[in-house]
Amino acid sequence: MKMEDMPLSGPDNTKLEALVNDIYSELVEDACLGLCFEVHRAVKQGYFFLDETDQESMKEFEIVDQPGVDIFGQVYNQWKNKECECPNCKRLIAASRFAPHLEKCLGMGRNSSRIANRRLASNNNMSKSESDQEDNDDLNDNDWSYGAEKRGEHRKSQTSPRRSKTLKHKNEFSPFQYNYNAGINYEMLGPDEVQSFLTTVSSFHGRKKSFQSQRCPQHTDEQRMAVRVFLLGPSAPVLPEADSVAVPESFDIPDGQALMSRLQWEDSPEISPSDSASSKASEEKSGSPFPIKRRTDKEPVSVSLTGTNHSDSRSLSTKKKKPKLTAPSISSIYDDLN
Amino acid sequence: MSKDYQMKAAINQKLIEMGERERLKELLRAKLVESGWKDQLKAHCKDVIREKGLEHVTVEDLVTEVTPKGRGTARRQQVVGTGQKSSCPCSKTEKINLVVQ
Repeated sequence: MKMEDMPLSGPDNTKLEALVNDIYSELVEDACLGLCFEVHRAVKQGYFFLDETDQESMKEFEIVDQPGVDIFGQVYNQWKNKECECPNCKRLIAASRFAPHLEKCLGMGRNSSRIANRRLASNNNMSKSESDQEDNDDLNDNDWSYGAEKRGEHRKSQTSPRRSKTLKHKNEFSPFQYNYNAGINYEMLGPDEVQSFLTTVSSFHGRKKSFQSQRCPQHTDEQRMAVRVFLLGPSAPVLPEADSVAVPESFDIPDGQALMSRLQWEDSPEISPSDSASSKASEEKSGSPFPIKRRTDKEPVSVSLTGTNHSDSRSLSTKKKKPKLTAPSISSIYDDLN
Repeated sequence: MSKDYQMKAAINQKLIEMGERERLKELLRAKLVESGWKDQLKAHCKDVIREKGLEHVTVEDLVTEVTPKGRGTARRQQVVGTGQKSSCPCSKTEKINLVVQ
């Protein structure tokens, strides 16, 4: 390039500077021209003087530049130190705390009733006197405590259906004082208590099912009978009534030994789950439509028909949904599985 | 002198080709707005318009009135703004030197 040869010496320097000045002037003129076009267009379109109104308004909304005041002239912390008189309790409250105080004072906010109830509850616990609680909705929001549970029994008639269910369950626990303070000593429970405990626990978790049939909706009664015949032999007892609530005594397996002759626990190493599944599948072709294979996927028990006889007196539930076992057998089963 | 004229033309052409001229133009515009030169000039425009009457203002009027003032104030603004002693913004001189070389 020609320019590379030009060093920045004296006269050339000025020449260069003159050139640069020329270029710069051109750029400035371009900018001016741009501005003129913009202004001219604004004038002709009529929006050039839009920000200028009459003199009075101009003075009124002039920008204020004083200390302690914003640009509109307003003082921003004017109400900080003021105090207001509450119309309810006639106290002088600071302005910033006025709204929350009114909420509590008039009893109209979200938290005011809750706090009032809690305060009354604690007062009741101290003084043991019945008080008139107006708002039942917040009762469930309180932390569960022994005192609240005891009092909850009195309010059964006033509560909604949902609450009545939970209270019913709480009433069932009363025979052996089910509360968080004492805890449950499992060893000291008798067999009847354990059965009812397990019943209520399982029915508590499956809340809806406890008041309906416990039958699995995916299978029919014929399938169930077929399984029962298969597992228990031809002398299988009849299925219990579908409408009755699950009663513990229907689950005493009549023939534990016969059952064990057909089943085998997983802890025998020579049996693999696939073998047992295939062997059972061949047996299944005799006519039972109920795929026991599915059960082996879910349960850790591998079932085979080798015919080995275990002399352990273990009782096994035939159906998954009825895990109720007699109390002495619980510990034995868990020992074996471990 | 034609040599200078040629040189100037060559420089201009080079600048345009490389896109530097556009960049410099935008840079200048930004600086002028920042310094408040544009608002000053706009206020001057308002006076001119009020003088001449709103309806009959033409572009030429504005240009002839506004450009000399603009040119002069721009130079002064730039000198004051950058704090340089030369009469033209030295940063631009350097940039043009870089471009040229």
